[in-house]
Amino acid sequence: MPLSRFAQRIIYVALALWLVIASLPVIWTAVISLRDYVDAFANPVKWSAPVTFENYRALWIDREFYRNFFNTMVVTIGTVSISLCVGCLAAYALARYRGSLGFWLLLVALVFRALPHSTLLPSFFTLFDALGIRNTYFSLIFVLVAINQPFTIWMLRSFFMNIPAELDEAAMVDGCSRFQAFRRVIIPVMWPGIVTTGLFSFLLAYNDFLLSSALTNAEKMTMPAAIANSISAESEALLMQGVAGAVSITLPLIILVVIFQRQIVSGLTQGAVKG
Amino acid sequence: MARIELKDVSRIWSQSGKQTVGLKPMSLSIADGEFVVLLGPSGCGKTTTMRIVAGLESTSTGEVWIGERCVNSFEPKDRDVAMVFQSYGLYPNMTVFENIAFPLKIRGVASTEIDAAVKRAAAMVELGELMDRKPKALSGGQRQRVALARAIVRKPSVFLMDEPLSNLDAKLRVSMRSHIKHLHHTLKVTTLYVTHDQIEAMTLADRVVVMSKAEIQQVGTPDQIYNDPANTFVAGFVGSPAMNLIEGEFNDGRFTASDMTLSPFHLSHTGCAVLGVRPEDVRVSRREGSATLDANRVAATVFSCELTGDATLVVGNVGGQQIIAKADKSARFAIGETVSLLIEPDRCFLFDAATQRRIR
Repeated sequence: MPLSRFAQRIIYVALALWLVIASLPVIWTAVISLRDYVDAFANPVKWSAPVTFENYRALWIDREFYRNFFNTMVVTIGTVSISLCVGCLAAYALARYRGSLGFWLLLVALVFRALPHSTLLPSFFTLFDALGIRNTYFSLIFVLVAINQPFTIWMLRSFFMNIPAELDEAAMVDGCSRFQAFRRVIIPVMWPGIVTTGLFSFLLAYNDFLLSSALTNAEKMTMPAAIANSISAESEALLMQGVAGAVSITLPLIILVVIFQRQIVSGLTQGAVKG
Repeated sequence: MARIELKDVSRIWSQSGKQTVGLKPMSLSIADGEFVVLLGPSGCGKTTTMRIVAGLESTSTGEVWIGERCVNSFEPKDRDVAMVFQSYGLYPNMTVFENIAFPLKIRGVASTEIDAAVKRAAAMVELGELMDRKPKALSGGQRQRVALARAIVRKPSVFLMDEPLSNLDAKLRVSMRSHIKHLHHTLKVTTLYVTHDQIEAMTLADRVVVMSKAEIQQVGTPDQIYNDPANTFVAGFVGSPAMNLIEGEFNDGRFTASDMTLSPFHLSHTGCAVLGVRPEDVRVSRREGSATLDANRVAATVFSCELTGDATLVVGNVGGQQIIAKADKSARFAIGETVSLLIEPDRCFLFDAATQRRIR
């Protein structure tokens, strides 16, 4: 039944209110990142203050935050690429496989996804130390892919399930091998699903704090782990750099979500319906 | 072009220790250039048979030959077959041209050659102006024609068609049927066609293979299937309305059922039997008063009277069994009225009640 005009207005007002409450911390962080410490944390609150980019300069140039940005990009792109390559192959196989083994594999994957990430860390420490690969991009990407994979497989599988098997079969009768059918026919049809899943993988890797701070030192640390030290620091300058860092991390995400909002929503609803 | 030979082919699926029989061992030989239709209800094994020929399903036993090659170990792409699917199987991200060109492109044919072949195939199914459209911008009939064009573009040895018309509306189905018939006449490619629609089977086929319960019931020309059914399944499945199948007793050339005696039959059978008679072979006439019935006339109470346009279907109750008679379109009977049905023995088929096979 369509909502009455009054009910619609109530909903809009409530949503607007919610928007203000939800975005206030983010907006305030962005505002104070452009102030010095005294103005940022003045009591009572200062609604206007001189704008300065000093915090950003100190963070990006003096503290070489661009290194952390680079680390984040390497780790995120590496994680997304490997997750999607492995995930597509696994999800396609699981979507087309008719036996009961597929069900059990998916269930096991789900169990691993449900585990808290911190429970896996001790074993990774030992393993990576023994192999001498702790504090490398590889080790961080490896762990992020492993943690990310169940989600990627489940999500991609639900997209693959929506593609009729007749397409694969038509391609194979038309002259493709199974892999050619996958690459030349199924992947192009799957592209929106891959973009959506890739975005979610991107967000997971980009936002990771726990694994990066545990498995890497300052040299290989990603942005969220790097700014954590600043925010908890006693020094006023460092704290302000932390605030500038928080904004620096958030900005690309906001741009990304705005650009790909349609895919993200379709991915979320698809997941909700198809499981 | 090539002949197809299925030798003792069967398909059994095992899952969690449970076995499902998709196809009981069957043998079938399809001549070069022949149009064979696999006809049967859902789950009878007809699509499994076709998928085995295409290589999309493996065999549990037996051999599949296409031309001079046993293709059991061949991938679908190496079998030189083209297939038209029920839901068309068009590639949604490609235009009509790209869809039709795909089988040639994947085989590395030169682009000038592809261009000519696609135009030729598209012209055969009258697709001329739609080449730049994506499948979603086409109607059902147009999509099916693209699927046909994609099948004929590379001149395969065998066409496989899996219920290609069942997603189309009735009118379009008739026109596409004649398209397919004409294409086969022009190209003369060996064709295996799966359908559950008996009209499609009867109109298109050189030979019909009637299947039920994962096995072949009868193989024959449409005429043989209709006029010489091998068992009660074929008799009841082919023909619309279906053949009347009446249970009774057969002794000394005489068939008796409740309120019904028919003779003479020149058959040597004794015991339970099923009598089959097509509705068009049952003559219905109004019965005046309680006059005695002539030989082979049966008194029936009209259960319903339906005008189908070109005929009137009269359903009569005879001793608890319903008999359908196809009468002239001008015939009208009231429900509950008593009519007389003339069933002549030489128009009837007799089946063994135990084996359901025809008694000859």
